[in-house]
Amino acid sequence: MLARVAENLYWMARYLERAEDTARLINATTMMLIDMPRGASFGWEALLTVAGLDELFKKHYEEATETAVMNFLIQDEHNPSSIFACIHLARENTRSFREVLPRESWEWVNELYLYAKAHMNQALDRRKRLEVLTEIIRRRQAVVGLLSGTMSRDEAFQFLRLGRNVERADMTSRVLDVSYALNLPREGSQYYDLIWMSTLKALSAYQMFRRHVSIRAKGSLVLAFLLNDPKFPRSVRHCLNEMRAALDELPGDKPLRTLRGIQAGLDNADFRALAKSGLHKYCDTLQAGLAELSGDIADTYFRAANPQPAVGQDLFSQA
Amino acid sequence: MAIDCSQYPHTDGFDELLSAPGAPRSGAEGLCHFFSGLPPGELEDRHRAVDAAIMAAGITFTVYSEAGNIDRAWPFDVVPRIIEKREWERIEAGLKQRLQALNLCIQDLYHEQRIVKDKVLPAEVLVDSRNFRSACVGAMPRYGVWAHICGTDLVRDGDGTVYVLEDNLRVPSGVSYMLENRQLMKRLFPELFARYDILPIDDYTAQLYDMLASLSPRPGDRPEIAVLTPGVYNSAYFEHSYLAQQMGAHLVEGPDLVVLDDDCVYMRTIEGLTRLDVIYRRIDDDFLDPEVFRPDSTLGVPGLMRAWRKGNIGIANAPGAGVADDKVVYAFVPQMIRYYLDEEPILPNVPSYLCMYEKDLEYVLANLEKLVVKPANESGGYGMLVGPKSTAEECAKFADLIRANPRNYMAQPTLSLSTVPTLCEGNLEPRHVDLRPFILQAKDLYVTSGGLTRVALRRGSLVVNSSQGGGSKDTWIVQDSW
Repeated sequence: MLARVAENLYWMARYLERAEDTARLINATTMMLIDMPRGASFGWEALLTVAGLDELFKKHYEEATETAVMNFLIQDEHNPSSIFACIHLARENTRSFREVLPRESWEWVNELYLYAKAHMNQALDRRKRLEVLTEIIRRRQAVVGLLSGTMSRDEAFQFLRLGRNVERADMTSRVLDVSYALNLPREGSQYYDLIWMSTLKALSAYQMFRRHVSIRAKGSLVLAFLLNDPKFPRSVRHCLNEMRAALDELPGDKPLRTLRGIQAGLDNADFRALAKSGLHKYCDTLQAGLAELSGDIADTYFRAANPQPAVGQDLFSQA
Repeated sequence: MAIDCSQYPHTDGFDELLSAPGAPRSGAEGLCHFFSGLPPGELEDRHRAVDAAIMAAGITFTVYSEAGNIDRAWPFDVVPRIIEKREWERIEAGLKQRLQALNLCIQDLYHEQRIVKDKVLPAEVLVDSRNFRSACVGAMPRYGVWAHICGTDLVRDGDGTVYVLEDNLRVPSGVSYMLENRQLMKRLFPELFARYDILPIDDYTAQLYDMLASLSPRPGDRPEIAVLTPGVYNSAYFEHSYLAQQMGAHLVEGPDLVVLDDDCVYMRTIEGLTRLDVIYRRIDDDFLDPEVFRPDSTLGVPGLMRAWRKGNIGIANAPGAGVADDKVVYAFVPQMIRYYLDEEPILPNVPSYLCMYEKDLEYVLANLEKLVVKPANESGGYGMLVGPKSTAEECAKFADLIRANPRNYMAQPTLSLSTVPTLCEGNLEPRHVDLRPFILQAKDLYVTSGGLTRVALRRGSLVVNSSQGGGSKDTWIVQDSW
């Protein structure tokens, strides 16, 4: 498989995952807000922090109002991680490897793009937001389902799988990190559980958590679930296992070694202690590990036959 | 209102489907009957559905303009063009004859140049040819074939004669749209396909694959074949990716390839370098190899010509094949057919005036307002003058261009291209068309059943190029007695 195509596949999967995760995060946050008492201050900045985009936002906006943050995260072209920008980039990438995917994949990604283009504007308004973002999630999931149901488990598929899970693990750790920072000052208050609950919801983990772990959203349990549950597909543990399975199908062992290091960090974690202190540092290390892994994947596969550094597509290195 | 073939406006020229309002030609009766039977609005509804399908499928081409590059949906018209098999077989034979002669000529021009020595092709035509590549002299592509894929443009004049308008031997495009058009039509009018005996066209990509595979320097079942594209911003990128997908070939860009010291071509893959056997290149000669042609090209592969001359890689079309795709060389194809094949041309050329000849030049300058004047080396309808549609001032300007470089221009009478009924705001109106069949040659010859019918969507316009307001139609070759 061509190195350039592998790289485009990997990033296409990351862009689409990022678009969907951002949509889920916004939907959950919007729903939670409706529950908050009037006057309780909620900082929309938190969403920017999750995405690691506070600095970029400040360059283009005066104040983090709901409209401004929504515009920035949903459709602003200045933000290369906005939902629309991600979908657009994913579409352009898909165009460059139409020949390796089942034929409908391009059509469905293209339709997702056309839908987003026509409806993004409406998602700024709270009344239509849920509907539009849910449709985006639905259409993106249709692409995932199509690939899962019609694509050979070839190398191309493994690069998609890698990209999807690297991005997802990264998002899970970011959401955790930020929710925790928001929660600290509220420990013991009536909203404490509410925020852990919203963390679960932001990662679409609430229902599975209640079903398999506990009715109450206790900090250490939530952490253990989102970081270490081997069965929940958005937990970091599950994402790492998926990456492992994908890497096992590909040549080269440098990424595998880095991955084992990240897994070891998870094996040795004490979630009860982390719920009290040190989560921020833990998440930082995790994210640094994922960034290193992404770099190893690039060196091993995308630049294997290419001594000079490739013209990077890695616009959003998540360092 | 229903589509009514008897309401179709009468034209002075030749209409492909109707010989007079309400009088379908042989082969088109079933179609006209079917259209007349559709309830009001039905045809437009189906057309809208097809437009949506085109948009969703991303069947696009890119138009370059000052406002940036725009990705346009491929404009498709629902009324097919119909040709009876009897007539088609004659055209097919003519196309094969023509490409055979062209390939013999290219091989000759890069070797002994007998045709020049025998004064059938004037030496100055060759001397001035921008597409003659000295780097190709003496090269021996397999089977002696240089132009493996040819897209010949045919037009029909008012009296019904089919002429060859030009031979596209460099990187002719459009075949993917021909294939897509058929898919769209099957979705749109399944009932018509049940009634008519229409020759299928889908074997093109398999034929293309076999032809390319036969050029592989290494014997084996599965040669590594790649389509070389300039990249996603090329206007025909959709087609490059489509053909790669259909053939299960790699779609590569120049930087994906490298030529090593062993003069073989390799692809950069996730496992390192993999040897490549055949390149279906969709970039012009100029950009193929910066070591030999334009040194500033980033689209090509340094060393590619070296590898090709050593026989380590098959390239289709071969570098230098464009020497016979020149609007002045074109005028000599009938002579070539007689010279190499000792046969009479089956398909006539459009009468041409070569400005390199004093007498022709005088005639052209005196009659600009009646003629179509074309530069020798442009394609895509760029840089030409359509006399009857131009102002006196434009003609005068063009006259200066011709005088400055007569060898670079040729002129033809303005043909009244045939028309096909086309859906325009709910009614059928005549619109001018041409036809581009695709011919393959390596060991064997193959012609698509029909080709891409391009249509000038603007009323009265004769320009069918997609970059200039053209669209396309499905083309049906039908059994004579259906």
